[in-house]
Amino acid sequence: MTKRALIAVLLTLAGLAFGGPARADQLVTDLSEHKIAIKSNFTGTQILLFGAIEANGPDERALNRDIVVVISGPARAVTVRRKARVGGIWINHDSVTFPKVPGYYAVASTRPLEVTAGIDVLQREQIGIDNVNLGVPVAQGMDGSEEILSPDDEKDFLKALIRNKRRDKLFINDPGGVVFLGQTLFRVTVDIPANVPVGLYTATVFLLRDGQVVDAIASPLYIDKSGLERFLYRFAHGDALLYGLLAVLGSAAAGWLASAVLRER
Amino acid sequence: MQIYLPIAEMPVNVLVIFGMGMTVGFLSGMFGVGGGFLMTPLLIFLGIPPAVAVGTQSTQVVASSVTGAIAHSKRGSIDFKMGGITLAGGIAGSVSGIFIFRLLVKIGQIDLAISVIYVVFLTIIGALMMAESVRAMLAARAGQSVAIGKTAHHSWIHGLPLRMRFHRSRLYISVIPPIAIGFFVGMLSAIMGVGGGFIMIPGMIYLLRMPTSVVIGTSLFQIVFVTALTGVMHSVENQTVDAVLGFILVVGGVIGAQYGVRAASRLRGEHLRALLAALVLLMGLRLGWALITPPADLYSIVDVAPHS
Repeated sequence: MTKRALIAVLLTLAGLAFGGPARADQLVTDLSEHKIAIKSNFTGTQILLFGAIEANGPDERALNRDIVVVISGPARAVTVRRKARVGGIWINHDSVTFPKVPGYYAVASTRPLEVTAGIDVLQREQIGIDNVNLGVPVAQGMDGSEEILSPDDEKDFLKALIRNKRRDKLFINDPGGVVFLGQTLFRVTVDIPANVPVGLYTATVFLLRDGQVVDAIASPLYIDKSGLERFLYRFAHGDALLYGLLAVLGSAAAGWLASAVLRER
Repeated sequence: MQIYLPIAEMPVNVLVIFGMGMTVGFLSGMFGVGGGFLMTPLLIFLGIPPAVAVGTQSTQVVASSVTGAIAHSKRGSIDFKMGGITLAGGIAGSVSGIFIFRLLVKIGQIDLAISVIYVVFLTIIGALMMAESVRAMLAARAGQSVAIGKTAHHSWIHGLPLRMRFHRSRLYISVIPPIAIGFFVGMLSAIMGVGGGFIMIPGMIYLLRMPTSVVIGTSLFQIVFVTALTGVMHSVENQTVDAVLGFILVVGGVIGAQYGVRAASRLRGEHLRALLAALVLLMGLRLGWALITPPADLYSIVDVAPHS
């Protein structure tokens, strides 16, 4: 970056911070990484999100200020199955499909969400997994016919979905995870487990004051397989026939090689 | 040492997988079994998705059966005509097995189906092997050898139409039973990720009355092609063949088999067979136990569309 461009950027930032007369507090945030590569040695990672609140005016105090960080992965349909005992063995029975479940959802905040904002605000901004719109669930019986479940039953399936995702470390709730360093700086580390789905993620930082959202910044985070993992995955899904043929031929060659070695002994 | 599997989408310990490949390879070298019926449940215990375990396992069976088939073809102990007939049935069986597999995945019962089929076969085979090895041990103590009796009387099998002459097996029988056995084994191969020698070999001996000298070679010959087809079809239809997992298993299996073959010539067969039988029975019971005990969580989740 040239010196002149740098000065221009700094001036713009300064203008943003000090320019507007009656503007409320503003956020400046960034992620430690914007791209996570899943390589052969990937066993999960951590992502660091940090930022600062740019206060306007001397009377702005740090009281009643909350930061909520939401990292949300690509949404897709997820089926929740319930087992039932049939003839002595446990088999999958009813199922409910939720059409838009984020593959990963982490929320971290300075204080527990309940005391951070009212339910109306949390629902409007879809903060917290209970407040995310998962689409209209469809229930199916064991024979695949559509069923109508009682609201209680449906709630059980929803709870099970969240419980299972939590167990897989794909839904994370970390109240108190956002730590302030002094008055304006804050940081949070979020775990990304090894079984994380690939795709485009969004990291959104909310600044709340007295339970109201004052500012929000969303930044993209891209998680993708890389290197050999990416090549094999793409190959297996993109050119499945050739992939299968090569896999089988490779195994046959290994078997042939083994018999050749065996004969030399 | 962890490695991330691209298709199974999970990290596994390389040494554990390699060790499993070697152990199963050792057993398959020693007993002349494919080892698929041991490997697939082991992979499932390890947390590999059952569909990936089955799909990947078929490539490992290709490797071990190629080694065996080459050895038998050199000894001339393959009835290629019989192998071809059973293969025809096997291809049809494998295709329909893949179809059934897909259907089971769609209705969410694939895990159950794999478990139930394994429980049934592992317990039956384990019990039969145990009985056989105990009998052999008792006979050895009494100082006699047991041979598989080839009864002289004709069964209903020999009354069927479409007869064909099989010179190598010295048989003149209908092609319907070999095709039926091949079909059944092909179907099991696609659903269970096994070669199916444990069905094929008794079927050839007891139903077709083939001479025992050509049975293993002919069975291996058929298994090579059926599992190769199964592996390709699992890749195309379900994208469940994990090349990284398969590679580790094949390398471990190949090395293990070398030692197994050598160990087999030194050790007492009956005792080891009894041990293998106990292992097989134990795995069957473990899988069966999981079916009848209440699960820790009644609910399970599955992504509807695979990730892109």
